[in-house]
This record gives sequence, structure tokens and C-alpha cells, in this order.
Amino acid sequence: MKRYFSIILSIFIVLVSFLVVYNIKNRTTSNTKKIKKTNNIGSFQKTSTCIRFPYFLSKLRVPQPIAIDLSQQHYKGLAFLFGRGFNRAVHKKSWERFDYFGGYALDRSGNMYLTPMPFISIKPYTFNLQKNIYKLNSKTGKLDIWLTIDKVKTTSNNPFGITAIVYDCDNNTLWVSSIDKSDYFHSKGTIYHIDIASKKILQKLKGIDALSLQLIQTTKGKYLLAGLAKDNTLIALEIKNNKLLSNPIKLFSLPNKEEHIRKINIVAKNHLKIQTIPFSYSLIAQTIQEASIRKNYNIIWDNNKWRFNK
Amino acid sequence: MKREQKIAIAILIIGFIAITIYWFSNTKKPIPKLDTEKIILPKYNSSIYQNVPEVKEYIDDIKRLLSQGKSVLPLNSSELDSNAKVAQKILLQNQEFLSDTRSNNGKLEHNDIMTIRPAIISAMSKETQKICKNITCYQATKYNFVTNTTTRAIVDVDNKKVLQIDRYRDKQPDISQRLKKIAQAIALYSPEVKEVLGGTPKLKDMSMANVRSSVNNSPCENKNHLCVAPTFSYHDKEKALWAVIDLTDMKLAIAKWAGLGKTTTPSCIAERTLQNRLIMQKYCQQNNHYESMGWKFDYRITGSDGLEIINAYFKNKEVIKSAKIVDWHVAYRGLGDVDTSTESIVAGRRIEYVKGKNSDFYFGYNDAMGCPMFSTSVVLSFNAPQIKDIVKNNKKIGFYITQDFRNPKWPMACNYRYENRFEFYKDGSFRVVGVNKGRGCGDNAVYRPVMRIDVFNGDEEFYKYQNGSWQKWLVENRDFQYKAKEYYQDKYLYKIVSKKRGYYIEPNRGQFKDNSRGDNATLFATLFKESEGAEDLLTLGSCCKLDEDGVEQFMSQNETIDKKDIVLWYVPRIKNDSRKGDEYCWADTVIENGNLVIKIYPCIVGAKFVPIGDK
Repeated sequence: MKRYFSIILSIFIVLVSFLVVYNIKNRTTSNTKKIKKTNNIGSFQKTSTCIRFPYFLSKLRVPQPIAIDLSQQHYKGLAFLFGRGFNRAVHKKSWERFDYFGGYALDRSGNMYLTPMPFISIKPYTFNLQKNIYKLNSKTGKLDIWLTIDKVKTTSNNPFGITAIVYDCDNNTLWVSSIDKSDYFHSKGTIYHIDIASKKILQKLKGIDALSLQLIQTTKGKYLLAGLAKDNTLIALEIKNNKLLSNPIKLFSLPNKEEHIRKINIVAKNHLKIQTIPFSYSLIAQTIQEASIRKNYNIIWDNNKWRFNK
Repeated sequence: MKREQKIAIAILIIGFIAITIYWFSNTKKPIPKLDTEKIILPKYNSSIYQNVPEVKEYIDDIKRLLSQGKSVLPLNSSELDSNAKVAQKILLQNQEFLSDTRSNNGKLEHNDIMTIRPAIISAMSKETQKICKNITCYQATKYNFVTNTTTRAIVDVDNKKVLQIDRYRDKQPDISQRLKKIAQAIALYSPEVKEVLGGTPKLKDMSMANVRSSVNNSPCENKNHLCVAPTFSYHDKEKALWAVIDLTDMKLAIAKWAGLGKTTTPSCIAERTLQNRLIMQKYCQQNNHYESMGWKFDYRITGSDGLEIINAYFKNKEVIKSAKIVDWHVAYRGLGDVDTSTESIVAGRRIEYVKGKNSDFYFGYNDAMGCPMFSTSVVLSFNAPQIKDIVKNNKKIGFYITQDFRNPKWPMACNYRYENRFEFYKDGSFRVVGVNKGRGCGDNAVYRPVMRIDVFNGDEEFYKYQNGSWQKWLVENRDFQYKAKEYYQDKYLYKIVSKKRGYYIEPNRGQFKDNSRGDNATLFATLFKESEGAEDLLTLGSCCKLDEDGVEQFMSQNETIDKKDIVLWYVPRIKNDSRKGDEYCWADTVIENGNLVIKIYPCIVGAKFVPIGDK
């Protein structure tokens, strides 16, 4: 037996090495994250936020309440609406130069970070705009490219790049999603955690296509909520020590497969308000005319169950 | 070194080499299976359902009613109790209840009474509730098929009075027993359903679980249509067939054969969703192959260049490398000055304005056609590609593959419908055809489909017929059909040859007997470049500069094309027409027999490629 020890050992080494390589390779190539089937992230409530509106609006004596208009229906790019019935607007022509925006996040200094959106039709430069995060300076109201993520690449088969954004008051960072490179079968999107001061990407989590993002503090911990672009599901990703854990937790799916979550708000104790659209990674022109395509749901965490009210 | 140690070292070396090869090998990831359901699109003309006795009887009843100057089809007495009969009689004489049964120009609109039953409290206003506390109240629903409106009335049967009338626009009610039976009859008759089930289904296998139980939205692609989804359940196989039946058009809209699981509950059924899923999985994510009459080729739907034919061979000789219609340029003429300081958007498109030579301007947009998801197109594929015979004198002389692209709201104004069609003939001829089915924003439109046709595979020569002989083009060039004074054999204006084979190009001058008014095309011959349309192209050039077609950018360097790989761009130019009796590239919606009917006046363009034969 001793005589054959070296042969047995070599076979064992080869087998173990193969298993290790097999696991690493499959982990690398499998982009789409497997979603854990538990929907309990604890109870939560609406918390006060640190964010504020841009300072230049106070200088212009724009009174509250102010609505941020990214609908692109009346103003290209960005507009701040105010006054009775929000019938007055602050809108600069220079805010149109990066075309259209899909999402925004305000920080504690009143700076606004905006994400791009392809809209109506594609121009030769449209794809290039989808890899930038834009910043509206709180003091000057000047809009510029704040950060370019070169890895974001959009094409005519998926014109969407950087999509959702949320500001983290705990550490002055941004959580940003991109959904480029995804196709009908695979979610190849990425969630980026970016430090505002250094513009450094602190973490990247691949394999999730998030159409919307929201931070939430629950009795079980801190989570990043993500409304998926591919279907009608809301997931949660736990954040521990400022790091996103990679196992998504499925919270719920909406009754209609075509309704994808584009906005998540925490409105009261254990109460989420979400808005949906029929998103299909194509230009929204086909559906933009109908306000009815946007549906709102009130969702209550009640007795360890999610309850839906339209 | 001992023999065993040598074997161990050999195992290690071979093992690590194998592991290294494995690491660098391109392991193909399996495509995740999204759904195990099978989607069945209708293949047959919807007129076949008019042979169904229940449908025929129903249509005859409507025609009879309309001939009497009435438009509300009452419920059969078998569906009514004695109080309901009284309620129906009262309602059919009530002016307010009947006030929405005619169009603005007085045409009768088809309405059905759907149900009459004892009134329920949730349907009544507080005032009506008080009245109905001590008397007999019935509620009735009526559906207007033209306006897609449901009317609900509460009737005081004792005092023969209408107490309350509510109208719900774009909502559909619970249907009558008669329409349920018609839906069942259509589903049972449907040849597509029979093919999937492997025989005629039985009524006992059918449930009407998905028949709407309250005013609701339509599961049909056309949201203004009244649709239901009868189900054939086969519990032994744990499968069910859901068929969406369109009761406005009396046809099978779509069907789905799937498991009886929780994830495939009938509420998920929607014609458009199922269509999109099938189109994406089968035609946008993979090539499909077809062979017939000596032809074989692959085809697919692209993200923004419509239906594409690739690698077409006739009798095992390569003919087409790629053929597709990359864009439709749509331009309208306006008079006076125009303010272009702000963007204008019409029907989901950004409008481009181009100043004309006089005090006029042109405005419009470029329409890209493509897949319904993961795409930059605004005109989307509807239904799957269809392959049909071309028949002449009762003999099959060829076949064509066609794909329908539509704005979801066609035929409303500024919404379009295009068909990409590729015809293949048994003599080796082929034709790339663009069909425009309107409707456009007005009657002064100029449509220009941009066709990219790449034949053979290099070593090509291109000729134009002029001054009685074939003149070879040595460099990239363009030509206007309207300037042509002569055609070879009175048919052919161009030819392209490669090695010992070639094709004459026969522009359409109305000779194809399809009511076409000709192509009036511009033809470009350019050198093949991967970046110039081999992959999906974004919309090309300006919609509205009528002296340019967008292809000019690919011939800016005047490169030599002699004996090279040549790409042909063929851009017909069509003017639409809305004059009564002369409609062209147009669509209209009219009321016929009480129902809305879409009238289509297509314009058909495209050149035919005819084989020259061995040289």
C-alpha cells in the first residue's frame, strides 16, 4: 500500500485542484445572482434624512414645496417646480446639454447627483452619456459630469447604462446601479458604492439589474432595497460594515409580471410606497403617453407578511 | 526514481495540463430556461371563424338589428328571470341608457347587454341604496364594442324606473352566457388549438376561469377589444391550454400551453406579453433556418434593423449575405416659419425640422424597426415572422417571409405600420419588399425605406444600363431611378455579377401588379465595411433632407468597388395619398355593421433581383 501512496496522493492533489478551479471558474462566469428565498428583513420606520435642497434655490428665493421634475414632458433634462399647483419652474437651458435624466439623489450639502436616461430616440452621442453620473452644484446651480464609469457600455440592443442612485447619509457615499450589458436571458448589471469625497468606487456587486434603489434601516440591520429591472421583484441586500453582502433576499413580487419597480419610498412604520412601470430595456416612447402605465402600490409589512394595497 | 513516483509525477503533469486547458476553455453557459410554456400564435386568417355556427348566428343577429335602426343586442330570455326581463324592456326604451349607442356622425354602434341580475350594494350610490332597501332593484351592464365602454344601470323593477346610470370608458364587463358560448366555440374550432392538443378538444375539458368577473382591462394586445381566456385543463398531464379569444374581432388572439402551476395562473395571460416573450426567445436571440424550393437561409429579428435574411443560398450557391430594411425616413412638408428652439415630440418621436428652399420646411423622424424588448426601436415587431406561398395561376411559384412592425397605437394618427417582406422564387429570383400601411400624421408625407442588400461574397462588379450598354461602376456611386431613360429588355436598370454568376436588378415601376406606384428609388453601391451596417445600425441620416438619404456618409471617400465586396442600398421614395378612392400608404378606421373596421391601403416598394444565368 505504501508503495502506491505517491500515486494516490497525486490523484488526490489533481482532484482537489480541479474542484477548486471548477468552483472559481463557475463563480466568475455566473453573473446572475441567486436570490435567497426569505422575505423577512425585520420591521422598519421612516427616519429623518440628512439631505437638503440645492442652496442656489434659496438664493433665488424659490419657496418650498419644490418638486423635482425629470419627467421630460415639459422640460428637457431637469427642472424645479414650485408655486401654486407647481405651475412655476426653475430651468436653465444649460441643464439640457446632457439630454435626459432618469434618477437623482441629493446630498447633505444640497448637491444633486443625476443619472442619465435614453429617451424617445437615439442620437450618435446618446450611448456615451449613459456612463456618466452628473452633479448639479448646490451653490452655483451648474450642471456637469461628476464621474464617468468607463466600464458601462450601452448598445442598440440595450441602451440603458447607469440607472438608479441613492445617497447614504451615514458615510457620504452614493449607491448607484447600472444595467448595461444585460440581455434577455442574463442580468449583468452592477451596483456601485462610491465615496463622494474621493470619487473612489468602494465596492462593485455584479449580477443585479436594479431599476430603483433605496436604503432602509430595520430591526435586523441596514439594507439596500432594489427594484429589479428584469421583473416585478423587490430584493434587499444586507449592508454590514459599509459592505454590501452578495446574497440578495427576495422581499416580494408584484401581481403583474410586467410591472417593474421604478421608485421606492418609506412613508411610515413598516409601510413602503412603490411606483411601477412596464420596463423592457427599450425606449419608453411606446408607453410614455399614458400616465396610467405608472402604478402605485402601498405595501405593508404586517405580521411577518407583505400586504399589498393599490 | 521508482516507477510509482514516475507515474505520480505523470499524473500530476497531465492533471494540471488538463486543469489549465479547462480554465482557459470557453465553457458555454447554459441559457437559463425562463419558462416552460409554449406560446401559440394564430396562423390562419381570422375569417375562418365566421363559419362557426354560433358566430354566424350572432353576426346575423347584429346585422338584423342594425337594419331595424337599433344597435343594442338584448339578452336572450334564457339568460333572464322575470324581473330581469322587465328591467331589459325598461332599459331598451330609456334614452339616457341608449345615449351612447351612436357615433358622432350618427352611425349605429354595436352594443350588447351583457348581464341583468339583482343589484348588489357595492354598485349602488347611497341614494340608490336607500331606494332599493324596500323594493326590487336589478343591475344591468351594457358594452359598447366601438368605444370600449361599459354602462351599468340600476333599475327599480317595481316602479319601472331607471335609478342610476354609470359609464366606464375603456373598461370591459362580465360577458353574457351567449358570448361565453361563442368564445368556447371559437376555441374549440381553432385549428391552432387542435394542432397543439393533437385533436379536437372537448367542451368538458374547458373551464372559463379567466372570464372577467368585474369591469377590467383587456388581455388582448388591442386594449380596446373585449377578450376572454377559456382554459382547457388536463389535470392528468398537469398542463393547461389558455386561449385568448378576441370577441370584438371574433378570433383566436393567442394561446399558451403551460403547466398548471401557481406561476402560470390565467391572470398572467396578456396577448402582447406572450407575443413579446415568444419573439424575444425565438427570433431575437437566435437565428432560424428555412429551406424551400431550392432556397435555404437563416433569418432573425434585429434590435433596430427589422427582419434580416442572412446567408441565403439558391441551389447551394451563395446569393444573399444579408438583406434588411434598416430605417423608414418619414418627412412632411410644412409652410411658413417654424420655431425649433424647443424640442417637439409627436407620438413618442422627436421631431426633426429642416428648412426648405422657399418659405417652407420639412419635419418628421426616422423610424427604426426591431425587437419588442432590448431595443432602440419605436416601431416594434408584432406577431412572429410568417412564411407564405406566392401563387400564380393556381401554381406555387415561390414563397415569402414577412414580419409585421407596428406602433402599438396604429392606426391612430402619427402611428405607423410597416411590413418587411422577402420574396423568393423558384427560378432563383428574389425581391426585398417594404410595405407601408400608414397612417401617418397627414396626407403630404414622403416615406423612404432604406434597404441594405449585400449579395454574393466579394469579387463583385456593378453595372448600370445606359446608352444601350452596361457601364461598370469602378468607385462608390449613387444613381436616381427617376433619371433613367432606358432599361435593358425594358426591365433591368442595374446588374451585379460575381465570378460566373450575376443578378439583374429590376426596379419597381408598377409592373409587379401589387397596386404600387413605383419605387422612384435612389441606389447606392458602396464598399462593404463591418461598421457600415453589417451589424445593427442606428437611424441613418436625416429624415427630412430630401436631397440626401443618409447613405451618402458611406461613400464619402469614393473608394474603388471593382472586384470588391459591394453593398447595395436601395432607397425608394413614396408619397402618400388620402384622397377618397386613391388612398396609398394609408389606413382608416370606419364603422361597418356596427363595429370598427380598419381599412388598409398599403404601398409596396422594392426591386426584384433576377438571375442572369451562368455567364
